[in-house]
Amino acid sequence: MSFLTPLFLVGLAGLAIPVIIHLIQKERKNVVAFPSLMFLRKIPYQSVERRRIRNWPLLLLRLAALALIVMAFARPFLRREALAVAAAGGAREVVILLDRSYSLGYGDRWERARAAARDTVNGLGGADRGTVVLFDTGAEVALRSAADRGRLTAAIETAQVGAAATKYGPALKLAGSIISESGLPNKEVVLISDFQRRAWLGAEGVRLPDGTKVTPVSVTDGAVANVSITPAVLQRTTVSDQERVTVTAGAVNRGPAAVTVPVSLEVDGRVIQTKPLTLGPNGSASLSFEPFAPAAAFTRGSVRLADDRLARDNVFHFVVSPPQRVKVLIVERPGTSRAASLYLSQALGLGDSPAFDVTMKPMERLSAADISGAAVIVLNDVPVAQVTAERLAAFVTAGGGLFAAFGERATWPAAVDVMPAIPGGTADRTKGTPGRVGALEYGHPIFESFRAPRSGDFSSARFYTYRTVSVAPEAQVLARFDDGAPALLERRAGAGRVLAWTSTLDVTWNDLALKPVFLPFIHRIGATLASYTQRPASMTVGDVLAAASPAASSPASAGAASARQALVVIGPGGQRIEVDPTTRVVELRDQGFYELRAGDRDPAPVTLASNVDLTESDMTPIDPHEVAAGATGLAGGAAPAGSNTTVTNEERERSQRVWWYLLFAGLLLLTGETLLANSLKTKYL
Amino acid sequence: MISTSSIPGARFVDPRVLARIGNLELVARSVVDGLINGLHRTNVFGASVDFAEHRGYVPGDDIRRVDWRLFARTDRFYIKEYEADSNANFSVLMDVSKSMGFGSAGVTKLEYAKMLAGCLTYLVHRQRDRVGLVAFDDEIVEHVPPSAKHMETVLHVLDRLQPSKPGNLTVPLHKMAEHFGRKGMLVLISDLYEEPDAIVEALGPLRFRGNDLIVFHVLDRAELEFDFAEASAFEDLESGEQIPIVPYALRDEYRALVREHIEAISERCKAARIDYTLIDTSAPLDHALYKYLSVREKLMKAR
Repeated sequence: MSFLTPLFLVGLAGLAIPVIIHLIQKERKNVVAFPSLMFLRKIPYQSVERRRIRNWPLLLLRLAALALIVMAFARPFLRREALAVAAAGGAREVVILLDRSYSLGYGDRWERARAAARDTVNGLGGADRGTVVLFDTGAEVALRSAADRGRLTAAIETAQVGAAATKYGPALKLAGSIISESGLPNKEVVLISDFQRRAWLGAEGVRLPDGTKVTPVSVTDGAVANVSITPAVLQRTTVSDQERVTVTAGAVNRGPAAVTVPVSLEVDGRVIQTKPLTLGPNGSASLSFEPFAPAAAFTRGSVRLADDRLARDNVFHFVVSPPQRVKVLIVERPGTSRAASLYLSQALGLGDSPAFDVTMKPMERLSAADISGAAVIVLNDVPVAQVTAERLAAFVTAGGGLFAAFGERATWPAAVDVMPAIPGGTADRTKGTPGRVGALEYGHPIFESFRAPRSGDFSSARFYTYRTVSVAPEAQVLARFDDGAPALLERRAGAGRVLAWTSTLDVTWNDLALKPVFLPFIHRIGATLASYTQRPASMTVGDVLAAASPAASSPASAGAASARQALVVIGPGGQRIEVDPTTRVVELRDQGFYELRAGDRDPAPVTLASNVDLTESDMTPIDPHEVAAGATGLAGGAAPAGSNTTVTNEERERSQRVWWYLLFAGLLLLTGETLLANSLKTKYL
Repeated sequence: MISTSSIPGARFVDPRVLARIGNLELVARSVVDGLINGLHRTNVFGASVDFAEHRGYVPGDDIRRVDWRLFARTDRFYIKEYEADSNANFSVLMDVSKSMGFGSAGVTKLEYAKMLAGCLTYLVHRQRDRVGLVAFDDEIVEHVPPSAKHMETVLHVLDRLQPSKPGNLTVPLHKMAEHFGRKGMLVLISDLYEEPDAIVEALGPLRFRGNDLIVFHVLDRAELEFDFAEASAFEDLESGEQIPIVPYALRDEYRALVREHIEAISERCKAARIDYTLIDTSAPLDHALYKYLSVREKLMKAR
């Protein structure tokens, strides 16, 4: 029941008028001039007598008549959807989208959300069917298209608040697919959420089927005040061979009042420091803790705020993982001068992300153990014999990285087919204009970081001599000289890859080693060949962890043989999480520390920190109807015209006819009031 | 001697009819003449030939009043003085406070009081007494000194009187006492909205100077009966104060209070030898006059 002109309801305030007439105005309406009130003043004032309502039936009659007339003017009518449902014969397919993102843990929002879901279930008719979908960043069907209210209620009762953020897109898409498969005439989506503005990024390509009605149910209570932690920053330094970690943490206050909160740093579950942090209204601040020395390979740390209405965003977990070092073996010609590998070794020695352990070996002393112990092998202008080439090919195939610099003495047996190019003659550019690197494959990881302007100028390096090469069909040319000759080539072989540089890595044939781009260039080559990716200090709930990713690879299994170990994942609560053997991916669902083991007896398991998406802690709400309108393409989420339930003009008119009855009843009461009042007046006079 | 039997020819004229006449002299004449005609059997009224005393002639005395017989005997000029010749002063003290402007039945208390004053003045003037008028509310508004020639002036002033201010008896009456050096007859016409003790106290100085005091307590029928029907806000005509009143709830108590007030005034006046007459403005005017004259006659006989 709604009203066409609800402003008339203000007239209900007029119900006070009869009371006022009874209590005050009746005595004041006639002013009688009287010579003196001398005697009247002497009579005790009968205030109670005067104010007492003598005729309750008369008063009630007046009030009822007035209320009915006001209601009639407000033009009540039956809601369209109620009519439509009645007209359509009732059966509905109702999809309840229940937001379980961690922001629902704010105050009692989760309880109210579940209560709203239960109410929706209780409102289902006998022929209706309901679906319960729990959603956060993803959406999961808890119970699909069931008519049994008990099962639907149970699905709601067993739902728990998750640790992920809110996203409406997946949930609405899932609801759309459920509805489109339904054969029931009426389709309705009930979206129960706290409607955070950050969670709605426009329609997100969602469009529910025509005729679908979206009913948003907001469980917000207007409060948006919240203090949340921000991601901590770890600064690792080494002092006297002892690594020290400085944690800088911050917090955001999304409330109108300034607050001071204690911020604690926990290492391996023990609070080691606590500092107060003052946050202005809608402001943020940060602080740095005293450095600490990580004790274990994977030191677990947390920065924690005092609890408020939303607890999950008050802690940030991180892991101080052991430094990842890439072992690089530089193979030199026997008897060559130190200058040949000087620039290369010096460049590799400066790195810390990753750090390179550089070993240099003359070619004749290269052993199988040397090869297997390295992650990257650099052949710095060396002739390679057949046997050695075969060993290196095997190394590459198993996942190793090989980098060959072709100086004047470099050779590679053509029979061993892993090299992207076989060196041929030399191109002499000492006369005339020196050669320059003219074309780079910026899409390749090696050159990606040089893509932006002023991020490294390879064209400044002059190349006086370089080797011409015959390029293998499988090879990809990553850089060319200005005459089109390949400068850098890549070829994948098995699990590893081989890079060939057609000039030297010292200053005999070119001056690249003297240019600023040399250092990052060498680092990118080393990192690419070692398939190095920096291990993150923490991940976010909802991230997917691939077993083969560096984050999941343990130092013990790093390198060529990491391959396909059986992955065991232990969740934050100590539970063992099954890993799909085909995809070998794990989705981080909870907040806390995950432990990944390569087999049950992994002596050095990897620890990962998983944190909630802190953008979810912004409680600023959005108009729920905006989401509904975005999903249906119609304002307010109402069912569109032309839906399968049509209300005729007669039904519409009938729905608005109530006011006639109200007006008639009001006038009838007024007639009765007049009669009663007249009889009472006669009696009193 | 006045008979207490029915009075032939007395016209009990409705004051509402008299009020429409408008001319006070005409009103007074029509009322008083009729009343006197009804009293023609008495010969006592206006005794004016009673010998009082002889006094020595002084230049300026009318020689017609010389007692020649005594001159013949004593060879001295003496003047004969008669009681009736020493004309009495008669003044009406008219309350013109705002409360006197009240009237529930066509004629206000002030209009009634004017007619009463006019009648009395005319009546007294016919007795060749000197007539005067003092109108007051909380102070003296009009003052016409007693004189045999002031009959028309008094009537003219009476005609112009309008209620304008709240009233007070004590201040103006005390002030009047200073003016009335010669004793006479004073008629106070008021609604007497004061406490009985205050009224008598206000009249005291006038009484102490030897004046004969007659008090006409003029009240409207509505003031006496309080027969209002509707619950209303009652506004004090003088102060403007309003009190919401349900009349039927208070009627009995009001009547009792008014009755008590009237009795208290009556008793105190009697004790102070002041004539007190309650007049209901709905009663005919000559009825009020007759009532007064009856009382006066009784008192004269008593003296």
